[in-house]
Amino acid sequence: MSLTRRKLLHLLGLLGAPTVFLLIFFFGPLVIMLVYSFLTPGIYGGVDWIFSHLNYGRILGWADTRYEKFDPVYLAIFLRSLRLATLTVATSLIVSYPAAFWISRMRPGRRDFAIFLVTLPFFVSLIVRLFAWVLILRPTGFLNQGLMGIGLTSEPIEFLYTDFAVVLGMTYVFIPFMFLPLYSSIEKLDMAQLEASSDLGATRLQTFRKVVLPATMPGIIGGSIITFIPALGNFIVPSVLGGAKVLMIGNLIEQQFLSARNWPFGSALAMMVMTAVLVLLIVQLRLTRRGEHA
Amino acid sequence: MNPNRLSLATALVLTTSLAPLAGAAQEQLSLYNWGDYINPAVLEKFTEETGIEVTLDSYGSNEEMLAKIQAGATGYDIVFPSVHMHDIMFQLGLLAKTDIGSAPGFENIDPQFVRAATDPNAEYCLPYAWGNVGIVYNKDLAGDIKGWEDFFALGKEGKKITLLDDLRETIGIGLIMTGKSVNSTDPAEVEAAADYVISHLDGVTAFTYDSVPQVISGDVAAAHWYVGANLNVSENPDTIGYIIPEEGATMYQEDICVLASAPHKENAVKFMEFYLRPEIAALNVEQQMNGTPNVAAQEMIPDEIASNETIYPAQDVMDKLQIFEDLGRDLQLYNSEWTRIKTAQ
Repeated sequence: MSLTRRKLLHLLGLLGAPTVFLLIFFFGPLVIMLVYSFLTPGIYGGVDWIFSHLNYGRILGWADTRYEKFDPVYLAIFLRSLRLATLTVATSLIVSYPAAFWISRMRPGRRDFAIFLVTLPFFVSLIVRLFAWVLILRPTGFLNQGLMGIGLTSEPIEFLYTDFAVVLGMTYVFIPFMFLPLYSSIEKLDMAQLEASSDLGATRLQTFRKVVLPATMPGIIGGSIITFIPALGNFIVPSVLGGAKVLMIGNLIEQQFLSARNWPFGSALAMMVMTAVLVLLIVQLRLTRRGEHA
Repeated sequence: MNPNRLSLATALVLTTSLAPLAGAAQEQLSLYNWGDYINPAVLEKFTEETGIEVTLDSYGSNEEMLAKIQAGATGYDIVFPSVHMHDIMFQLGLLAKTDIGSAPGFENIDPQFVRAATDPNAEYCLPYAWGNVGIVYNKDLAGDIKGWEDFFALGKEGKKITLLDDLRETIGIGLIMTGKSVNSTDPAEVEAAADYVISHLDGVTAFTYDSVPQVISGDVAAAHWYVGANLNVSENPDTIGYIIPEEGATMYQEDICVLASAPHKENAVKFMEFYLRPEIAALNVEQQMNGTPNVAAQEMIPDEIASNETIYPAQDVMDKLQIFEDLGRDLQLYNSEWTRIKTAQ
């Protein structure tokens, strides 16, 4: 009895602080957002405490007043954000997977330096790095000058202010997020298993599909999730590299808070993103569980 | 209510950060202004004459400043809101009465700049500076353009143009071109204005503030931008130019206001009176290259600024400039149309 109580106290001591932290900094804001999403916008920002379901009606289809009208454009923006975030995850994965393999097979000193290089961009402000991409991608920029210089193109190609520029920029920004979880699962890969697989007659492709891929799956899923979530809500990259014309859900939310003084609608949009992310996390949990049982 | 809860935390942060200032025995004045929006020489001169030490903090938008003041930020004496924000702050009871309108020297202020509807006799705030929003263009690519018609024609020809990432400015072009007020609250008019912009989006590569360097480099033929582009024009006079569109344009104006919560109200009024002096307003324009409402000051500023018709337009052009008023809830009409414009392609 006293032993279990001590265990309980011990557990409480260990979990108490993080629980309180989560309650205040995660659950608290979430509740505020949920409440705000059902209120009416204050004239000068903030909210008026009058219940309204129209913020969701604007997105999902039943609002029709002077200020709140249903418009399918909000769902279209959401779908576009899903598409661009998925593309970002795919390109980051394609770049990071071989890179993580390569780096994990380096000798230790060089390997540490390579990992340091992957995280190096974090030392420079994101805005500065994105404006560097503007200089690279614009019509008179380095990329077009280079392409025309070696005679591949005769006219500058439109790179800047396109979906391509946004996906490129987000891939660039989020590669470390993808790389690090991938690296930690690839590093643990036992080379003996690969040798065993080929000794037993598996082709390289079979070895990859049956041995390497399942063993590194946790890294792939983890990296994809923590890349997908910030990519979905990102508004800086689409505003700098997309010229605010490639509107993503993050830009729409930012607009509600910072220029349109409509906090409740911004909160409703944010809740929608949260729901999408939660669904995704549940799916991930299911997938990994199934993976463990298999 | 919620804002009060917010205010506690913000006030705590601010009082701790401002505490060291309060300790000093010297007379103080604390300004809260847009970034780079006052000539430092003006502040130095004020300190020299009065012995009052000036501190300067900056903000990036009216909304940001209002949010901080509303959340209970104390310690600031003077703010520089745009005219429509001046009205909002008055209605929220955030401003202090100064009677600057009856101070000696106020006769130098051109009455057309006493604009705030809530403050018709300048009992609260002093008109500070103003400018217009027009077009900056690359001379080789755009040729000799005159207004919005020519600007959008560039886009139809396959050249690149950019618009400001600002819902009221950009829908404002549509309202000007359809002959309506930029403060329209008629849903049909706002929709028609948005339709005008949407039907002229050919060649619009971006909604951005970062367009002047691209006009200089030739990546963009012309851009919707502020009168401040004149600084760049004076550095690259052969490459780029700035115009006020002949069909009309918008203008902005900021006023000097004293906060109701100002800890040094007397010093703040002293500063306002100091700024009423023509030579001080002229000193500010010299570095800021914008418009001053002080008529006597206009005669003291350098000729290349005073004779620049895009900074100091003739009265017939002035009459075509519209200024934004606060729209209250009707801002939401613009909000939905803005999303429609941005997703139109």
